[in-house]
Amino acid sequence: MSARVAVLVFPGTNSESETVRICRDVGLDAESVHWSNAGRLPSYAAYVLPGGFAYEDRIRAGAISAHDPMMDYVIEAAGEGKLVLGICNGAQILLEAGLVPGTAAVRKPTAAFTRNAPSGKFVCKHVHIKLAIDPARCAITAALPNGAVIPAWAAHGEGRLAANAEHLDEITLGSHLAFVYAHADGTVDDRAVPNGSALGCAGLTNKKGNVLAIMPHPERDAWNFNHPDVWRNDRASGDILAPSGGATLLRAFAHAVRAL
Amino acid sequence: MRPDELRRIAEGLGREPTIVELHAFDAQWSEHCSYKSSRHLLKQLPTTGPDVVLGPGEDAGILHLGEHNGVRYGVVIAHESHNHPSQVVPFEGAATGVGGIVRDVLCMGAEVIGLADCLRFGRVEDPNSHQRYVAQQVVDGIAAYGNAIGVPNIAGDVYFDEGFNDNCLVNVIALGLVKESEIIHSRAPENSAGWDIVLVGKATDASGFGGASFSSLTLEEANQEANKSAVQVPDPFLKNVIMRASYRVFEYLREKKITAGFKDLGAGGIMGCTAELCAAGGYGAIIDLDDVNVAVENLPPEVIAVGETQERLCWILPGDATLDVLRIYNEEFSLPEIARGARAVVIGAVQSDKRYVMRHGSEIVMDVPIDFLTGAISEERPSACHGEPVEPSPSSAQRARDEGLRQLLSGLNACSREPLFKQYDAVVRGTTVIARGRADAGVIAPVPGAPFGVALSVGRSVSEAVRKVVAVGARPIGLTDCLNFGNPNNEEHYAQLVRAVSDLANDAKKFELPFVSGNVSLYNESSSGTAIPSSPIIGCVGVVDDLRNIVTLGFKHPESDLYFIATPGLAVVCEAMAKRLVLSASALGSDGLLNAAARMAFAADNDFGAEFGGAQAFVDQFDGWLIEVADPEAFAHLAATRIPSEAWRRVGTTTVADLEGEVDISVGESAHDLDELRAAWSKPLTEIYA
Repeated sequence: MSARVAVLVFPGTNSESETVRICRDVGLDAESVHWSNAGRLPSYAAYVLPGGFAYEDRIRAGAISAHDPMMDYVIEAAGEGKLVLGICNGAQILLEAGLVPGTAAVRKPTAAFTRNAPSGKFVCKHVHIKLAIDPARCAITAALPNGAVIPAWAAHGEGRLAANAEHLDEITLGSHLAFVYAHADGTVDDRAVPNGSALGCAGLTNKKGNVLAIMPHPERDAWNFNHPDVWRNDRASGDILAPSGGATLLRAFAHAVRAL
Repeated sequence: MRPDELRRIAEGLGREPTIVELHAFDAQWSEHCSYKSSRHLLKQLPTTGPDVVLGPGEDAGILHLGEHNGVRYGVVIAHESHNHPSQVVPFEGAATGVGGIVRDVLCMGAEVIGLADCLRFGRVEDPNSHQRYVAQQVVDGIAAYGNAIGVPNIAGDVYFDEGFNDNCLVNVIALGLVKESEIIHSRAPENSAGWDIVLVGKATDASGFGGASFSSLTLEEANQEANKSAVQVPDPFLKNVIMRASYRVFEYLREKKITAGFKDLGAGGIMGCTAELCAAGGYGAIIDLDDVNVAVENLPPEVIAVGETQERLCWILPGDATLDVLRIYNEEFSLPEIARGARAVVIGAVQSDKRYVMRHGSEIVMDVPIDFLTGAISEERPSACHGEPVEPSPSSAQRARDEGLRQLLSGLNACSREPLFKQYDAVVRGTTVIARGRADAGVIAPVPGAPFGVALSVGRSVSEAVRKVVAVGARPIGLTDCLNFGNPNNEEHYAQLVRAVSDLANDAKKFELPFVSGNVSLYNESSSGTAIPSSPIIGCVGVVDDLRNIVTLGFKHPESDLYFIATPGLAVVCEAMAKRLVLSASALGSDGLLNAAARMAFAADNDFGAEFGGAQAFVDQFDGWLIEVADPEAFAHLAATRIPSEAWRRVGTTTVADLEGEVDISVGESAHDLDELRAAWSKPLTEIYA
């Protein structure tokens, strides 16, 4: 039987259905677990925190949710080495819970995903993210090739990594910077960054490499029809209902879950 | 309310109305609720057809989308204006507009799958003007609400004109997906006498009191402060949870095979919703206002009865289902912990007699025949003339030649809308196929694994909306309208409404398309008596039978032939797309063919330009399509056998960079540098929205 994955639904989460769908499509036994069923969480092998506006993103995105009782279980599971993947709002929650970069005590974040710069506004844009660490550094990325470039949609108002210089150094020196924004061809520059994120950061992992937080949504570029380039040049060739580039990351996650 | 209406109430009741009854009739008989100036006009619109699953009459219309694995799916569509509230309190007003339309779709038993917004603002050039403030706040409000509830915004338009300086327009369209066998109706079901009336959502407060009648007034400057209390307060966070809890209730009712009634609370609050639900089923109702969850103590009964507090819905449920449904909302989805005072609660019962009764404390504060309360009040007004059709705005294509294409593209009404719509989440739910900006209509694939999708476009006429849906390779199946006009008491303004409805009816018949839902917003007029420019806004739903046949805006190849096809050639365009003869397409707008060519070049992934040789005569065209053709021979054969030669023509070719590396849009001898055009087109709205 395939490993059981819980997709956590906080009050205000809005991306649980597509997240469950792509998890299942890559072979995981995934289901959403609602905040009123938090007690069931210990029985799962891995956890995905999907996108949305949990607790209305009051104070700062993820700040309240990091204290939701569901996170008690996630923090414990992460400590035990179980896999935890946070996407967008889920990434913000993992950061606020101190699980990534994980250089201080839990719920004592040393960095935050904060208001986009320069506009301060929500941005919805197709982007690419590039693996910036040795794939084996993080269990969830282990099945990816070196320097993998993955398409995704950025859709967030608070996606700019912010931390003081000392903590940014910690992130860099500790190889916590898992993904950076890149162009489709893999080149990296400021123009590829949609939100002013420090270090061009699109994703972080923890010291142990079992927790991954990524800001853009690979699960929204999960099927070929989601991907803008499908309509480029000639017609969509092949199966447009088949998994797309964004599914690559979810497939790597599934690989890691099965390897547990 | 007018004296003659007051008399009608007293005569109908055989006594003077109570305070609660007065407010109830005021809301129920307001223009906003009763369509009293427009109901008889709207009868002209065609509403039937092979794809209609549910025509107008309930909260939203439903069209047949397709069949997958033996299940028939319907697409639900509703259209709403929130003009008055958005002018007074732009952020909240626009946000509640989204909230209201989402409830209209949800209460058909549907999952909400898409949004579109159609906006009209005044002159925004002055950074300190109220008009600019309104234009910014409305967009922020729509983004904040739609993004939080998690519904992708896939289509829309925005125009600026000084005629909207005192009255902005905020129209919103929502789409839903429902299995045709699982539609829930906005009426008390058969044999439901004695069933529970369950109110779900936010605790009732004094916000939105008098909202329906407020929206039936012209905006008097002096009253703007007072009017703010008539605007509801949105809570997308609570709505997100209520939507998901309602999806769970749908599942529960299906499992238990229970038929229920469901309706959103809009105009007229608890009174309007419960009265209409019960009257539609042929029943009466008794409501206990003391059982309503309220946010503040000692609210007067008339405020509890008709106040338009947001984020509320109402169920009619058989007794044995009630406890389970209350448990889903209150415990499983913990509404009371999500927002103070929010919950699901039984507030009354369906009655077999046809009276509508409200109790408050030990008193009966309302007791009226339900059909008298909810019955249509209709009046035909004199109109100055049924005269000349409203001319479409002067062709700016002409201006493109006179002032230059660059000038045209840098105008507020032709420039890129991306700075505005990139604030909207277009891809949440993971079903988006074509997001805004890549084609003239948005496309989503709402049924996992199914080869078909739904397209949605908006336009200023039936023809424009239909052309846009066809431009992505979809087959148009139905329409929705929102009619934004001035004060119907003004004969001239009323005449414009009369004329517009008859034009819409004629156009819809021409395309053999039904209107399945709609909305009328009158009294869009300032204290000085200046009405907005007449603004019908049309939404068109299309079906993409095979997602692989989708066509986008951007040019695909160099040296492809470009053809103009006039609107009557619709069937040929559809067929050419199904046969994959079309590489890219754009519906022409009033800005004409050159503007369309420029937008197609901007949307291309590589730098492609276009060359129009001896096509001067066609530059002014706005009624048709510009298409890039893959196989000119096959296409020409198809067109020649089906449409008269004057309705289609090869007008140019796509080009790439010349030896100097320049890419142009050129007409005859005059060439426009693509980079310059793009820069001019991209910039204007960045200052306002970035």
